[in-house]
Amino acid sequence: MLSARVGQCITALGAVAVLAFALLSENEYHQHMLIWIALNAVLAVGLRFMLLVGETNIATGAFYGMGAYIAAVFTVKWGLPFPVALLAGGVLGVLVSAAFGMITLRTKGPYFMLISFAFTEVTRLIYTRVEWLGGNSGIMGVFPPQALDPWMPAFSVLLCGGLILLMYLCESSHLGKLFNAIQNNDALVETVGIDVMQIKLVCLVVASFAVGVAGSLHAHVYNVISPGDFSYLLPVFALAYVKVGGDSHVLGSILGATLLTVLSQALQGAGSLEHILFGGAIVAAMLVLPDGLWGGGQRLLRLLSGGRA
Amino acid sequence: MKHLMAWAAAAVLAAGIASGARAEDNILRFGVFVPMSGAAASWGIGSAWVGQQAAKEINDHGGIKAGGKTYKVEVIAYENGYNSADGGKAAQAMLNRDGIRFVIQGIGTAPVKALQSLSERTGALLLQIAWGKSVKGPQAPLTFTSSNTPFELFGPLIDAVKRQHPEAKTVALLNPNDATGQEVEEEVVKQYKARGYTILTSAWYERGTTEFQPIATKLAQTHADIMDMGAPPADSGLVFKELSVQGWKGIKIQSAGTGADATVKVGGAAVEDTYMGAAADFAGPTATPIQRKLNEGALAALHEPLNVLQLATWDAAMATKAGIEKANSIDPRKVAKVLPDLIFESSYGPAAFGGKETYGSPQQMLVPIIVSQIKNGQTVEIERIIPAELKQRLAKQP
Amino acid sequence: MGLIAQLLVNTLQIGAVYVLFSLGLTLVFGVMKVINFAHGQFFTLAALLIAAAMPELTVRFALPAWLDYFVCFAAASLAVSALAAVLYFGAFERYLRDLIGSFILSVGLLLLMEGIYLWVFSGAPRVVPKLLTGQVSVLGGSLETQRLVICGIALAFTFGLYQLVQHSKLGKALRAVAEDREAAMLQGIRYRRISFYGFMIGSALAAISGGLIAPLVAISPSIGNDYLSKAFIIIIIGGLGSIPGAILGGFLIAAIESFAGYFFDLSYATIAMFLLVMVFLLVRPQGLLGHAQR
Repeated sequence: MLSARVGQCITALGAVAVLAFALLSENEYHQHMLIWIALNAVLAVGLRFMLLVGETNIATGAFYGMGAYIAAVFTVKWGLPFPVALLAGGVLGVLVSAAFGMITLRTKGPYFMLISFAFTEVTRLIYTRVEWLGGNSGIMGVFPPQALDPWMPAFSVLLCGGLILLMYLCESSHLGKLFNAIQNNDALVETVGIDVMQIKLVCLVVASFAVGVAGSLHAHVYNVISPGDFSYLLPVFALAYVKVGGDSHVLGSILGATLLTVLSQALQGAGSLEHILFGGAIVAAMLVLPDGLWGGGQRLLRLLSGGRA
Repeated sequence: MKHLMAWAAAAVLAAGIASGARAEDNILRFGVFVPMSGAAASWGIGSAWVGQQAAKEINDHGGIKAGGKTYKVEVIAYENGYNSADGGKAAQAMLNRDGIRFVIQGIGTAPVKALQSLSERTGALLLQIAWGKSVKGPQAPLTFTSSNTPFELFGPLIDAVKRQHPEAKTVALLNPNDATGQEVEEEVVKQYKARGYTILTSAWYERGTTEFQPIATKLAQTHADIMDMGAPPADSGLVFKELSVQGWKGIKIQSAGTGADATVKVGGAAVEDTYMGAAADFAGPTATPIQRKLNEGALAALHEPLNVLQLATWDAAMATKAGIEKANSIDPRKVAKVLPDLIFESSYGPAAFGGKETYGSPQQMLVPIIVSQIKNGQTVEIERIIPAELKQRLAKQP
Repeated sequence: MGLIAQLLVNTLQIGAVYVLFSLGLTLVFGVMKVINFAHGQFFTLAALLIAAAMPELTVRFALPAWLDYFVCFAAASLAVSALAAVLYFGAFERYLRDLIGSFILSVGLLLLMEGIYLWVFSGAPRVVPKLLTGQVSVLGGSLETQRLVICGIALAFTFGLYQLVQHSKLGKALRAVAEDREAAMLQGIRYRRISFYGFMIGSALAAISGGLIAPLVAISPSIGNDYLSKAFIIIIIGGLGSIPGAILGGFLIAAIESFAGYFFDLSYATIAMFLLVMVFLLVRPQGLLGHAQR
C-alpha cells in the first residue's frame, strides 16, 4: 500500500519534471519530440483501453484521423477558435465511435479487429477522394493561435496527460473492474445481468474521445495533414508501443511510446535502415520480453529484492 | 517498486532528449529529403546517391567559399515516408535537430509541403521537385524547383506528338490516386483540351497495385487514339503490355515518364514508340559528359540508370553552391535572394531560375525539356528544347 | 460479349493467384489462430530470389529460360520454406493462438523483412525474362500464353491442396485442429506438430504464388503488400480458416476488381471491397463457407 502511494508521488514528480522541461527547453526539436511522445502515448493508452475489455481496436487510427481532419476544417476553413477545434475532435470521436460500436461490437476477437482494420482503411481512402478535404494533398496551414506558440509543448503535455489520466481513472474505478471481468469471461458477466455490449461501448467511446482530441492536437502540431498519415500503420505502431512497454500498466504504454518514438527519431537520417531497426526492435521485444519492459522491470525488481515485493 | 519503474521511464526520456545537435566549423550539411522505402524508394535512394556524388565533386574542387571561409559539403538523406506526418518528423529532425539550412532534394508533394511549412519559417533553402503548382510562389520565397514540372513540359510534349500524329483526336488517361497524380491529371487534361483533343476517360488507380488487367480493359474499350499514362514507369509498362494483349494499337504517351528502362523491362515490345515527357538518355549522344559519368556510376552502384528527377539533386547542389558563393554568405535568405539572377553550371550546361509568369516569382529551374521516345527498347531523345526564357537570359549574359 | 468475355478472363487470371496466396493465409489462421501479416513477405522473397538468380544462371550455365525458371522456382521455394521454419521455431511457436501477440510479432517481421529486402535488392523493379511468347484467345477474351499456363499451374496447386486437405490424414488433422483444437487433441492429434505443418504448407503456398507471379509483374520489395490486403478481404469473405471459402472468395474479389474496376473506378472498387468486408463481418462473420464458431 505504502509503495503504491510512493509510486504515485514519484509518477507525479516525473510528470512535473516533464512539464518543467516543456516550459524551459529552448530547443525546438526537443520540444517537438516531447509533443510527439505525448501524442503517441495517448494513442497507445487509447488502444490499451480497449484491450482492457479484450478487443484490439485498429479503428483507433480512424478516430485519430477524424479528429485531425475536423480540427483542420474548423481552423483552416471556418476560422473557429482553437479550443473549439480541439473539442470538436473529441465530440466527433464520441459520435462516430458510438455509432460504429453499436453496429460492430456485436462481434469480437479477430472479427472485431478486422472490421476496425477495414474501417481505418475505408476512412483513409475516402479522404483521398473528397476534394473538399484536399484529396491526397490534405489540408495545410493548420496553425494554433500565435500567442500559444511558446506554451505549445507544455499545453500539449498537459492536455495529453489529462486524457491519459481520464482513462487511468476509469480503469481504476469500478468500471475498470468490469472491464477486467469482461476480458476474462464475458459470458459470466452477462449472467449477472450486466449488459456487456453497453460496457464495451462505454469503453470504446471514452477511448475515442481521448484519441479524437489527440488527433485534433496532431493537426495543430504538424500544421499539415494528409490521408497517408492515418493508415492502419498508426494503430499498429501504437500496439507496438503498448507491447514493447508492457501492457500490464498504463505507465508501460507511456514508456513504450517514449522509447520507440525516440528510437525512430534517432534513426532519422539512417535511410532504409530505419525499417530494419524499427521492425527489429518490435520483434526483439516480442521474443525477449513478451510482457514488455514494464513486466521485465517488475521481474527484475522482484529478483533483486529477493521476493519480498 | 512502482517508483523505480517511473524513474527508469524518466531516465529513458531524458537520455532520448539529451541527444543534442552537433555543429562543426567548415562543414556545410545539405539535406536530401526523400522516400527510401515503399513504392517510390528507388527515386529516393538514387537521389541520395547523386547527392553524395555532388558533394564529392564540390569537395574535390575546393569546396564552397563564402565569407572568407572554405566549406566542405556533407550530404545527409532523410526518409520522408512519402506522407506528410513522417515528412513533418523528418523535417524536424533535419532542420531543428541537425540544423541543416540547405535542402537540395525533396520528393513527394505531401511531405515536401510539410517540410515547407517548417523550412520557410526557420529560414532554410529548399530545392525540390514536387509537381504541385502551389509549392512555390511569392508566399514561399525560400522554395525552388530543380526539375521541369508538368507546367513546363506537358505543352511541348503534346506539341511534339501532335506534329508527328496530326490525325489523333481522342485521349484516355490513367493516373495514380495520390497528391502528385491529382495535380498532374488536372494540368495534363487542361493541356490536351487547349489543343482540341477529346478526353474519353480519365481513370485512377492506387499506387502499389500489381494486377493491371482490369484497368487495361477499361482503357482499351475506349478505343482512344492516344493513351497517356501518368503512372510510374513499371506500372505504365504493365498497362501497355496488357493493352497490347487486348488488341489496342495507338499512340502511347507516358507524360510523366522518367525513364525507358523500367518501362521496357516490364512491357517489352509492347511499349515500343512510347513518347516520354521526363525521360532522358544520359548515356546517349545528347547527354553531357557529367551526365554520362554519373549515369555510369549509378549503373554500377544502383543497377539502374539515372532519371531526370534523381539528377535534379546534382543540379540543385550546384545551384546552391553557386548561390552561396555569389551571396558570399551561408545565410539561406541571402542565397535565395541571389538565385533568381544567377546563371550557374548545371549538368545540362548553363542554367538559371525563371517561371515568374506561371508562379508569380522566379523559382523554377530552367533546364532543357527533353521529349523522347522508346526505340528498340532504348530511350531516344527526340528533342532537347531549351526553354525560351533560358535562351533570353543566356543571350543577355556578356 | 467480347467485353464480358475479357472481364471474365481477367477475373480468372487474377483470381488464380489470389486464391493460392489466400489459401496459405487462411490455413495458417485456421490452424494457429494467427493472422500472419508477414505472409506477403514470403511471397515477395520468392519472387525477388527468382528475379535475382535467373539472369545469373542464364549467364553461367546457358540454360533454356523455362528450365532456368524451374530450377530457380524450386530453389526459391525451398529457401523460403527454410526461412519459414526458422521463423516458426524462433518466433511464431511462442505466440500460437495469441491473436494480439502474433499480430504485433508479424507486423514487426513485416517491417524488418521489407527493410532487409530493400537493403539487399534495392527498390528498383526487377523482371523475369519472358518464358513463353504469344497470346491466346479464351472465349473471346485475350491473354498472354504464359499467363494462361501459369494460371493453369496455380489452379493445379489449388486442386492439389484441396485434395490434400479433404482426403489425406494430415488434411483431416489440419481441419480438425482448425475446427476445435481441444476435441482434436482429445482424439490424439498432436497440436504442435500439426500447427507446424500448417504453417509450413501456408508459407510454401505463399512462396509458390510468389514464384508463379514473378514472370508476370514488376517485382519490387513492396509487391507483397497489395496481395496481402486483398488476401485479408478474401479470407474474411470466404470465412476465416475455410479452404473452400478462400477459393470462392478469391474469385469473387477478382471479379469485383475486374467488373467494378471497369464500370466504375478501381479506387472506388477498393473502398467497396472494404465496405463489403465490414458488412460480411457483421452479418455473416463466419464468411460465405466458414463454420459458425465463436
